Amino acid sequence: MTPEDGLSKVARTDIKDVLPVTDARRTELEGLIARVALGDRAAFDALYDATSAKLHAICLSVLKDRPEAEETLQEVYIRIWQGAARYASNGLSPMTWLITIARNRAIDRLRARASRPVTAPEDAAAAVPSDEPSPESATIMAQERRMLHECLAQLAGPQAGAVRAVYLEGVTYADLAEREGLPINTVRSWLRRSLLRLKDCVTQ
Amino acid sequence: MNDEVQLTPLEEDEALAAELALGLLEGAEAQAAVDRLSTDPAFAQAVRDWQERLAGLADRLTPVMAPARARQGIRQRLGHALPPLENDPLERAPWWRRPIGALSGLLAVAAVAAFLWLPGQDAPSAPRYGAELVAQDTDLRVDARIEGREMRLALQSGPAAEGRDWEVWWIGGDGAAVSLGVMPRNGEMRMTLPEGMAPSSQVSIALSDEPEGGSPTGQATGPVVAVADLTRL
Repeated sequence: MTPEDGLSKVARTDIKDVLPVTDARRTELEGLIARVALGDRAAFDALYDATSAKLHAICLSVLKDRPEAEETLQEVYIRIWQGAARYASNGLSPMTWLITIARNRAIDRLRARASRPVTAPEDAAAAVPSDEPSPESATIMAQERRMLHECLAQLAGPQAGAVRAVYLEGVTYADLAEREGLPINTVRSWLRRSLLRLKDCVTQ
Repeated sequence: MNDEVQLTPLEEDEALAAELALGLLEGAEAQAAVDRLSTDPAFAQAVRDWQERLAGLADRLTPVMAPARARQGIRQRLGHALPPLENDPLERAPWWRRPIGALSGLLAVAAVAAFLWLPGQDAPSAPRYGAELVAQDTDLRVDARIEGREMRLALQSGPAAEGRDWEVWWIGGDGAAVSLGVMPRNGEMRMTLPEGMAPSSQVSIALSDEPEGGSPTGQATGPVVAVADLTRL
């Protein structure tokens, strides 16, 4: 194999996740989190092995700085250890819960860096007890996730790019406005519409 | 971009839920939305649905393994791996520190020693794999060895240029890549492969040229300078 083959192979990897979200994996992660909630260090190690490379990638995507991402990753796992007991009642799939913690911590740090007021209110939703997910709703959400990339491709380029940048890089309305040379309210209006279209598409 | 058309109240709620999930709200508006979570279960569910939906965006990020010191840091901060003198003397000793534990520990050591010393009995050997990564136009050469789940990478020659580093990628049989971190400038890199990353001849190892410390985004930014398939030794 030549280096060029290798490059294309690396570049192609975004098509598939290394660890696809399957029911078996979901059950396994839920089991690990439940054991972590009881203070099981071996389960915590196993959870770290299974998920840290992904969560580290999220921290890096937001922070674009290796030492800061590594430091944030540590904070993320400390939070996971401390919050595992509350996981069962929050109604999120395990990977979403973990990803959301990583993203929120990374964004907190990003905004602290810019001395912006720290706002990561998303944690609050997970803190509200929920009767969900029923098995059906879990299946529906899994289906929506499969549709997500297809539906993003149906949005106009700048809109899809904005949704990705907001989620994966912690971009704010002010950043988007500056980037597009448009007033904040205009940017907000088109992003909200894009999000609604995205939802219509994935839930249809 | 036709913002003349007003959103319906339902659409407003849905957009607000998405903005809260994304962390796009600020100040009083953020606070009001957070407060609403505890009084409006439908809204809280809409926010969770958005979290679930959007988490799929992270699927496309190439996983990047953190250095071993990150796990060590977590253990220390949680008190799972305290240096000996930092143990709390009032804490109840774990079972292996108590006499019965120490005794069974000794027995276990004796059993292992006996096993190792018994003639004619080889310890079951774990499968071994290797790869030799050689660049085509420089003297870069890295040897990779895997025994069981332990992986070692050694730079034989051709360190990265000043201000650059070689980043190591594990490319699974399905083409999915994981960054294993950055090649040390001298000496070896050792790691334990986590669950889900099994060595096989379908796997290849690649090196890419990245800024010092590794790709700042976690995704390969520089060219792949060497790549080789794992071979069973």
